[in-house]
Parts: sequence; C-alpha cells; structure tokens
Amino acid sequence: MRLVAAVAAAAILTAAVGGQSPDTTKSFVPGRLWDGKTPDFRGLWQVRDTAYVNIEGHAAEKGMAASKSIIVDPADGKIPYRPEALVTRQEHYSTRATTDPSIRCFQAGVPRATYLATPLQILQSPGNFAIVYQENHAFRVFHPDTRPHFDNADWWMGDTRYRWEGDTLVADVVAQTDQAWLDHAGNFHSAEVHIVERYHTTGADTLEYEARIEDPVVYMKPWTLRTVLYRVKRPGARIVEDECLEDANGVRRHVPPTDARNLLRSDYSRWKQRPAK
Amino acid sequence: MIRRYLRIAVAFVTGALCVLTWLHGSGLLEAQSVLPRLPDGHPDFQGLWMKSAGGFQGLFIGSLDGTNFAAGGRGGRGDGRGAGRGPAAPQYPYTPEAAAERADRLRRGYEDPEAHCHLPGVPRALDQPGGLYPVQIIQDEKSVALLHEAMHDVRIIPTDNSAHPRNYWAWDGDSRGHWEGDTLVVDVSNFNGRTWLDMAANFVDENEHVVERYSLVDHDTIQYEATITDPTVFVRPVQMRFTLKRVPAEQQILEYSCLEGERSLQHYTDQDGGKKRRAQ
Repeated sequence: MRLVAAVAAAAILTAAVGGQSPDTTKSFVPGRLWDGKTPDFRGLWQVRDTAYVNIEGHAAEKGMAASKSIIVDPADGKIPYRPEALVTRQEHYSTRATTDPSIRCFQAGVPRATYLATPLQILQSPGNFAIVYQENHAFRVFHPDTRPHFDNADWWMGDTRYRWEGDTLVADVVAQTDQAWLDHAGNFHSAEVHIVERYHTTGADTLEYEARIEDPVVYMKPWTLRTVLYRVKRPGARIVEDECLEDANGVRRHVPPTDARNLLRSDYSRWKQRPAK
Repeated sequence: MIRRYLRIAVAFVTGALCVLTWLHGSGLLEAQSVLPRLPDGHPDFQGLWMKSAGGFQGLFIGSLDGTNFAAGGRGGRGDGRGAGRGPAAPQYPYTPEAAAERADRLRRGYEDPEAHCHLPGVPRALDQPGGLYPVQIIQDEKSVALLHEAMHDVRIIPTDNSAHPRNYWAWDGDSRGHWEGDTLVVDVSNFNGRTWLDMAANFVDENEHVVERYSLVDHDTIQYEATITDPTVFVRPVQMRFTLKRVPAEQQILEYSCLEGERSLQHYTDQDGGKKRRAQ
C-alpha cells in the first residue's frame, strides 16, 4: 500500500514537472480546469496602460497618460516598416480622428483587441477556449490546430488555431482584413499578416500576452509586442454590452448601457404618449 | 440432471428479469441518463448548435404571426391569416395602443434595429432564420455562454441565480440563470426598450421580461422555450418554442460583420426609404 502511494506521488510529481512551461520566466503554475490538465485562464482581464493610443509609445496628452512602447523586438521599440508602408502609417495618423476603424465601430482585430481600454473575458472548458472582448461585442473562438486554418477569409478577428506548449497557449492567427489598425495611431498590417500569440500566467492575477507579427508586404522583418493583462477583481465586474450607436446627427459613438439616454432617447418610447382612441 | 439444468436456467432468467426491472426503475435505460454531463452533474450544453424550423415559427422567417418573408410575403396584415396558406398563425396579444403602434412601425420596416446592425435582443438572438447562423455554447460550473454567429452577439449567463443589476439597460438585457433539475432557466430583464422581436415590426418596450428554458432532449437536440411578458404591450404572456440541433463537428462558427460603420445604408432599398434617408 505504501509502495503504491509512493509510486503515485512520484507520478504526480513527474507530471507536474513535465507539465511546466518550457519558457524561461515562470515558476508560477496556474490552476487547472476540472480535467486536472488544462491551465485555467478563465476570468475578466484588462491591460493597465494606454498603449492602445500608440503601441510605439506616446507622450501624455489631455486626459491620456503617456505610455512606453510595448514592442520588445526590435529593441528600439519601433515597427520595422517598409518605407512606403511608413508613408501610409503617417497618412493614417494625420486622419485618425475620423478614419480609425475602431471609431467607425468596426471590430478591433488581433492583436489590438487585447490591449484596449476595455476588458476581455476568457471562457474555457476542457477542449474549448474563447475570448469575448467588450469592445463592439467581438469574440474569437479558438480552434485546436489539429485542423487547418479557415483561410482566405477577410475577417476582422481572423481565424485562430491553438495548442498548448506546457502551460502556454500558443495561437496562430491568419485571415485578417487589411482594413484593421493596430492602435489609434494608424499602425497597420496587410491581409498577408500572420500572427503567433502566446498567453501564459505569470501569477494568479497576471496574464502575459505576446504577439509575433509577420507581414512581408508591410514590414522588413517580423516583430514582437508584449503586454500584461491584469485580472479585474472588482466585485460584480462583467463584460458590459457595448455597441456603437448613431445619434441624431449621424455621429457614431459608444453609449454604455448605464447611460439613461439609451432608454429615454429611444425613438420608440413616443408611442406611449399617443392618446388612446 | 436435466431438472438441475432447468433450475439453473430458471434462476438465471429470473435474475436477469430482476436486473432489467431494476434498471428500468432506476431510469438508467432512459435517454436522460446518457445525456452528456459536466462533473457538477448538470447537462453539458456545449457545442455548436443551429435553430431548426419548427414550433410557432414554422417555415416563417422573422415573425411569430406568420408574415412570410421567406416566400416574399410583404403582408403582415395583422388579420390572423398571415401571408401564406394553412392554418391561422398565432398572434401577438397586443393592447389596442400597442397594436396601433405596431401597424405604424410595419410601414417603417426599414427601422428594424437589426437591419441597422443593432443587437437583436432576447429571444430574437436565438430566433434567427432556421438553418442560417449557428450558436457556440461554452459552459462551466458558473456560467453558460452563448456566442451567436448572427450579429456576433454574446450572452454570458451566470448560473448562480443572482439578482439583476440596477441602472443597466441593454439590447440583450441582463440574464441570470439557475437550474431546475436538468433544465436551465434564465431570467432576462433590463431591456433598453428598443427591441423588435422580428422583421415584421412586432415589438416590446423596456418592460419586457423573458423567462427562457433550455432543455437537452438528447445528445443532439436542445428544446428552447421563451415566455415573454410585457404589461404595457401585451395583454397576456407570449410563448415561443423551437429546437436547436447539434451542428456536425467538421463545421465551425464564422465571423459575422454588421455594425453601423459597416455601411448599414446598404440594407436600405429605395422602396424602404433609402433615397429619403440618403438625401437627409
């Protein structure tokens, strides 16, 4: 009996060690789903910086804190654009107040959706993985990479295939539209973009996100950004319904469900004022 | 000797009958016992599902009262006959004022919020044309999430029977679920009052309240029921029922793009006031 217990303990220990992330940092071992295997990333997560303004870094402006570049490769923190692509980026930048697809209510795309000013929620069960983004109620269903990509699509959120490397989720993303931007500063990619994302927990409440972005049409070489998502721990926190609404002047903007205008400015509440016959 | 064999055989048959009777009584032979379940014992609704035709909706796309858009019907006469042949379709039980409003909106069909890419609300989120848009369900011990392909609409339903929030109004309202045996019962409230129930201008206001019941009938079938009450619009509750069928595993959910920024004007036709809107 004692022997059986010892063997079992050894097996568990071996499994635990063998299951650990092969990559560098991380002594942190995440919790598991009920299958006892799959790392548990469930929950509400959000970045705490303002890199969504410009992932290459930006100075503070009115009502907006400064942010460092979140690009870790190349070392200068700049996207290695081809010269003609840099011209396009500058055009985007100068017209961003009206041409940013996010302001025009399109889904944010990958990786931009990850580091927005709004939270995301990871939904998980053994064999299932999906991310719901608050902004524009976008979502991505991650499919196992045992089947090939649904390619040649022209999607905002792309087609995602994933696998586990130890406790790191590695996702391969293609089939994105060339209309998407990477931030509000007009950084962009083409339809040829290929992204490899890596998600892993570095603590109970921190999820590190890395995206390697390859696009020979726009960039001289692949580059990598990295950021940290923090668990949103406020009691009752949730993904709030979010969509762009068009106001009376045709201006599109986000109106949160907590805004009474959602209810009171309803075109249709007028029917109750009509006198009954 | 033969008698001895006979006795053994009789004992065996009797024993087998006993076991069968016990199995039958215990319910182990019934379909329910082979339903997929999560470790917490609740039925496992996970997978990709598609609404099939049936129930009140029948072959009709978009309207409980039988306005048949699939057959090109423009009717919506509201006289109980609907636009197709066959028995009279069920009617929404409007108050007189609400009936007048509905008739008025029917003339402005281009104002259907879904045509402007707003979220469909409940139960319209699931009540999409049968066989067109699937819904992916992901479930754990704390929630059931519905990821709808149509309108890329998401409903994350906590199954803790918690209370609705205050000061929150949304197209999809606020959903709180609990289990009644193997049935997931979802209470939906906090609607923003702008929802149309279908393309035929049937509507509710902010007093809408929905109780949904999801039951896994067998491995490949979900029975869906919704009871809609709205005291300022309907004189009695409305009931809706249809089934969802499991989609073969080789299929996957696709991206749906329909936001205002994605040029909702393309949804207008000249007939429906497109010119008028563009001229403004």
